[in-house]
Amino acid sequence: MEENRLEDLLRVIELCRSVESSSANPFDVDIREKILLLKNKLPEWKLLEELLVDSEAMLELTQIVKLQDEWLKHRASSLYIDPLLIQLKVKLLPKEALTEAFVKSWHPVAQLDQISPKGLEKAFVYWRDLSPIAERFKEEFGTYGTRPGVIDYQELVTLGVFTKTQFEEGLTELQAELVDKTRGDWIDYMEFIKSPATETRVRRAYLLAFLISEGRATLKSEPLTGKIYITALSSKAKGPTKSVAISIASGD
Amino acid sequence: MESQDKALLERKVRKAFQVLVLQRGRNPGVKGWEMKRYLGLDYRGIMEVLAEDISGLGLEVFEVKGADGTDDSSRFLLRFRESPSVSEAETSGIRIDDLAVLAATIAFINSKQGRAARKEVEMFLREKFPKWRVEYSLDRYVKRGYLDQDDRTMLHTGWRTHAEVDEKTLMTLILSRAQAAPAK
Repeated sequence: MEENRLEDLLRVIELCRSVESSSANPFDVDIREKILLLKNKLPEWKLLEELLVDSEAMLELTQIVKLQDEWLKHRASSLYIDPLLIQLKVKLLPKEALTEAFVKSWHPVAQLDQISPKGLEKAFVYWRDLSPIAERFKEEFGTYGTRPGVIDYQELVTLGVFTKTQFEEGLTELQAELVDKTRGDWIDYMEFIKSPATETRVRRAYLLAFLISEGRATLKSEPLTGKIYITALSSKAKGPTKSVAISIASGD
Repeated sequence: MESQDKALLERKVRKAFQVLVLQRGRNPGVKGWEMKRYLGLDYRGIMEVLAEDISGLGLEVFEVKGADGTDDSSRFLLRFRESPSVSEAETSGIRIDDLAVLAATIAFINSKQGRAARKEVEMFLREKFPKWRVEYSLDRYVKRGYLDQDDRTMLHTGWRTHAEVDEKTLMTLILSRAQAAPAK
């Protein structure tokens, strides 16, 4: 019901916005007619929300008046040339002719972009007074901040993220799932660890990394597509191992 | 007394040249209010003297009027009196294609009464230039001040175009150029 009452105003706002965001002629908006419409409707508005929509419509109309002013100024200037003619001409001209026309009307700015002795002194003072990066981080983030690093299984147990039993159970479950899904074939790594919850995805990736390190699963990557495939191994893998870093940030 | 005045004037003219030629901040040029601070209330007179002094070097002092049209908001800068040749422009590291994109964009915006939707400009330019060049060049010219892009992604000619490009000459030259002969 309220929508219907405000429909006229919303239409005015929409019309103004469409003219503002295109190169349409701002004189297509009949300002007088719209102002009269706002004037006639004004006594009907009682709620704050209605008055706000009314003032928004008024604001949009003022923007159109501003555009009309600019449009007239431009048209009155010597730069006004029939748009179709100039567009056709630009389309037909070769790039070289356009470049030549530009260069002939171009007066590049002359400037020196260099540091002055005063600037050098300022830079020196800034550098001298700049506290070490660790100190600055301390001010911003406190003293707990540590850089990204490696956390091993023992630490996770100590932190209480896993208990030893949970971890072993998790590994067995994940290996069973992997065997079931692969059935001797290769499957997509990201698909396997996929989960709506980030925590679960990270947990699955961590456990899977453990299975691979233990030689209970293996992975391969396709350099062209960048895809990574995994499969379960029936017997523990032997031979040389290598470390692979996989980003799981955009796993879904 | 007269020699003292002359020395003071010379000093102010030197100062005017220094502040105009050395870039301060992101954009070249010095605003009217800054000039007043550096040179005093009679800064326009000093700049007239400077303009005479530098004309022999092929330079001129150019004023770009600010949005509100006041003296304080005007931007003063030094620019070449004469236009460079195409080969000179090329040696400064600017590609012909880039200049052609800018010329076509300025002409298109002017033909649309000084404002055109970026999408519209891109569509127009893509008839002549590859998509990647159009997007790259428009972004670059917005960044360098040749074009202005507002929050409704409408493009206008920027302050640098007003400072460096004689838009009337550009439009006339484009209109007067003969079109390319059709390929046989």
